[in-house]
Amino acid sequence: MELPQTKSQFVQLSRKLRKEQRLLSYFRLRTNYDLMIGAIILGVLILVAFIGPLLSPYDPYAMKVLDRLKPPSAAHWLGTDEFGRDLLTRVLYGARVSMSIGLTVTALSSLLGLIIGVYAAYYKSLDHILMRICDGLIAFPGILLAIALMATLGASATNVIIALTIVFTPSIARTIRSAALVVREQAYIEAIRAQGANNARIIWLHIVPNTLSPLLVQAAFVFAEAILSEAALSFLGAGIPAPSPSWGNILQASKPVISKAWWMVTFPGIALILSVLSLNMLGDGLRDFLDPRSKRRGNKKARRAAS
Amino acid sequence: MSQTPLLDVRNLRTHFYTERGRVTAVDGVSFSMEPGEIVGIVGESGCGKSVMSQSIIRLLDYADDVSYEGEVRLGGENLLQLSNSRMRKIRGNLVSMVFQDPLTSLDPVYTVGDQIAESLRQHRRLSRREAREKALELLRMTGIPSPEQRLDEYPHQLSGGMQQRVMIAIALACEPQLLIADEPTTALDVTIQAQILELIVELNRKLGMGVLFITHDLGVVSEICTSVKVMYLGQIVEEMTTAQLFANPLHPYTQGLIRSIPRMDGDRRQKLHIIAGTVPSLNDKPQGCRFATRCPYADDKCRNEEPPIATAEEGHRLKCWYYEEISNGLREAVGHGD
Amino acid sequence: MLAYIVKRILSLIPVLLVITIATFALIHIMPGDPSAAFLGLEATQADVDALNQTMGFDHPIVEQYVNWVGGLFRGDLGDSLFLHQPVGQAIAEHMGPTLSLAIVAQAIALLLAIPLGIIAAYKRDSALDQLLRGFSLIGMAVPGFLLALFLMLFVGVKLKWLPIAGYAPLADGIWQHYRYLILPGISLGTIQAALIMRMTRSSVLEVLHLNFIKTVRSKGLRETKVLLKHALRNAFIPILTVIGQTFGTLVTGAVIIETIFNIPGIGQLVINSIERRDFTVIQGVVLFVTLLYVLINLIVDLLYGAVDPRVRLDRK
Repeated sequence: MELPQTKSQFVQLSRKLRKEQRLLSYFRLRTNYDLMIGAIILGVLILVAFIGPLLSPYDPYAMKVLDRLKPPSAAHWLGTDEFGRDLLTRVLYGARVSMSIGLTVTALSSLLGLIIGVYAAYYKSLDHILMRICDGLIAFPGILLAIALMATLGASATNVIIALTIVFTPSIARTIRSAALVVREQAYIEAIRAQGANNARIIWLHIVPNTLSPLLVQAAFVFAEAILSEAALSFLGAGIPAPSPSWGNILQASKPVISKAWWMVTFPGIALILSVLSLNMLGDGLRDFLDPRSKRRGNKKARRAAS
Repeated sequence: MSQTPLLDVRNLRTHFYTERGRVTAVDGVSFSMEPGEIVGIVGESGCGKSVMSQSIIRLLDYADDVSYEGEVRLGGENLLQLSNSRMRKIRGNLVSMVFQDPLTSLDPVYTVGDQIAESLRQHRRLSRREAREKALELLRMTGIPSPEQRLDEYPHQLSGGMQQRVMIAIALACEPQLLIADEPTTALDVTIQAQILELIVELNRKLGMGVLFITHDLGVVSEICTSVKVMYLGQIVEEMTTAQLFANPLHPYTQGLIRSIPRMDGDRRQKLHIIAGTVPSLNDKPQGCRFATRCPYADDKCRNEEPPIATAEEGHRLKCWYYEEISNGLREAVGHGD
Repeated sequence: MLAYIVKRILSLIPVLLVITIATFALIHIMPGDPSAAFLGLEATQADVDALNQTMGFDHPIVEQYVNWVGGLFRGDLGDSLFLHQPVGQAIAEHMGPTLSLAIVAQAIALLLAIPLGIIAAYKRDSALDQLLRGFSLIGMAVPGFLLALFLMLFVGVKLKWLPIAGYAPLADGIWQHYRYLILPGISLGTIQAALIMRMTRSSVLEVLHLNFIKTVRSKGLRETKVLLKHALRNAFIPILTVIGQTFGTLVTGAVIIETIFNIPGIGQLVINSIERRDFTVIQGVVLFVTLLYVLINLIVDLLYGAVDPRVRLDRK
């Protein structure tokens, strides 16, 4: 390739390079099956969670003693539960609970983790205190801490959100901190400081944007973990209180009747697996996309065939 | 040359299959070497010399998606067609290798003694104690200081020079007929470099083993090699004896390489010669002469037609359309083809 | 090496401080009076005051913390209000089944994950690798308690191969003991297996790209030897780390799995204590398991030295 001599050539060249860059990104996105499949399944699940309940003709709380534990039928597509409530409706409402709790916990712990992480990275004095606290909290096995918190705080949706935010914030803060430390050491940050930018400006305009890629990747995994944990807590009776539809509650109710009503385990179980699977794939895919060095090498056969 | 050659490479091609298609890193290399000879392979990084040397013992089979064409004959056997298990009996036994960076080329979690003993136990079926004794003997032969102590040390505890001596001890364990040394001194200090070169020459004389010495350093070549192959973009563009290399380099690329060696006796104000441009990527190799894009003498013929192998004199062959005109001063440099 | 051990142990002090403060705080962040919460609605103020006095809740908070930590050093985790026995004793009584379950699960996980991880790395990008990757993705997405329910449904209820609930101590015979632990062990071990396999695959793959693998191959070794003697040994540190880190998942997983299969371990102890509002037990179990987790990770760190001479010999 010839080196540009004039300004117009330079503009042309940079335009061309930018176009190639865009094409390459597009290509990487198209061949990133994890990202595509994960995003599509998750999109459908979120859509179902927020629109599905509106379409259901049943009330998730309406009990009908005569319809107890009926297998899937035309009237009740996924069957009914031990109180004769429509399982499909309960699973749809449960999706809404799982998704909203998952989203809220992810958003809260991402925000808190981001703030703790960047400030710890930027101010050495804060670093020691904040990171020791994070280390200590990370040392607790996650769900166990959540169980203990729920036991003392009492079972409610708000408390689930509080407990899980406490559990997930420290690891996000750690990730953000290590990303921010790398940025902080860059020469241009020194240059900006020399120009007289104040600390808040440097942190929020220059450091924070550089930590967003790892945050995004980890947020996907935290989302998955949060959904799992909420289900586990509810399953143990330490999460969302009983009559509310949540996948964990439905699964808990299914256990005593497992020999009579396979559908009560199977359908909420599949919903739970799909949401966690899609989020894990999304996270893997995002990591590959945002950090191409970690990309797994393409399929051997495909490469042979293409050449 | 009535003797049967030790190694006879004929029209070797090595293809890699990558996401961007097939890449031919070694593109029709032919040469042969006699027993006990030290042959230098010279070229810039990316010219395919490492890939070529690893293709000889098919080391690339595992790590990459790769295929070979041509023949690599060692004692009458075509190595490229051997079964994997037969090939394993050749590696480390008849042919062994020394690599560029000794620290990363040694397994960090085993002692030096274990790593030397490993090939002895593999090929010679020695007992643990015999292998250890032989390992000590090998270490002593490489001239490493206090060899007894080294046996139980780990690679990271040794200096770079000692690590490379260990690598050489590993390579020589089964007294191979051919040693392939891939830039064995590049990562070392100059004084250590000289010691290692000396060791290789000494072992070559003592054991009569052929050495294929890969380097980008013409100075090293002049010190130890009997003949030289110059590689460019996966091909040998010129081959000759070391004397001919310095007295009468004919290929414009070889001439460029020689002129880019800094000279102690040269005029200090004169700028060091640089070969114009960079090595084109293997994905878009020129279709004519490989060197045409950087050759000061290139014309349309060079750019479109690949030159055949011409013999300039006994043992001196090269690939260039115009080498006679160039050496007679009949062809002017027309500038850098770009 | 000794300095390394000392340094590693000293670095635990702030972590332990945070752990004890957080665990101590568990009882005190409770909305309202802990004694009142335990005694329930019928309790009189006098009852509550009396309990506060025996529990020491009437002392200043810092003094309570110091006393509590002092007790910890003597191995005293406090007394259970409901069981009328020391918390330490309650934990000791319930530890056996949990330990058995964790060992069975970890053994299943390791036996599956390490060989499969090596195979996946060696045959990377092959159909087999893709298949194993699919398994590990699904394995990580199926929570243990859900897998437990599915296994109960298919193996226990439909096929009637194995008991779906209960526990037999080792005293009842080895087969009886393990028969009851097979389904819980699989439920708990699957996620472990998925995580460890993923780690094994990626770290073996990373080692296979290192230079010395070429040296080893140039010696003419068999691929099995290249993989097991050189690649796996070098890949072991990240694998060990993930084994240590997932120990927490293992124990918390066990807590949930026990309640499903009616195994009388510490999981059941915790869940029952939540219903009984027996906070000292919850506090004790959380602290005990966390300290165990910290200890396991310490051992893993110290094992690095055994695996990697660079750790053992460098940090003198």
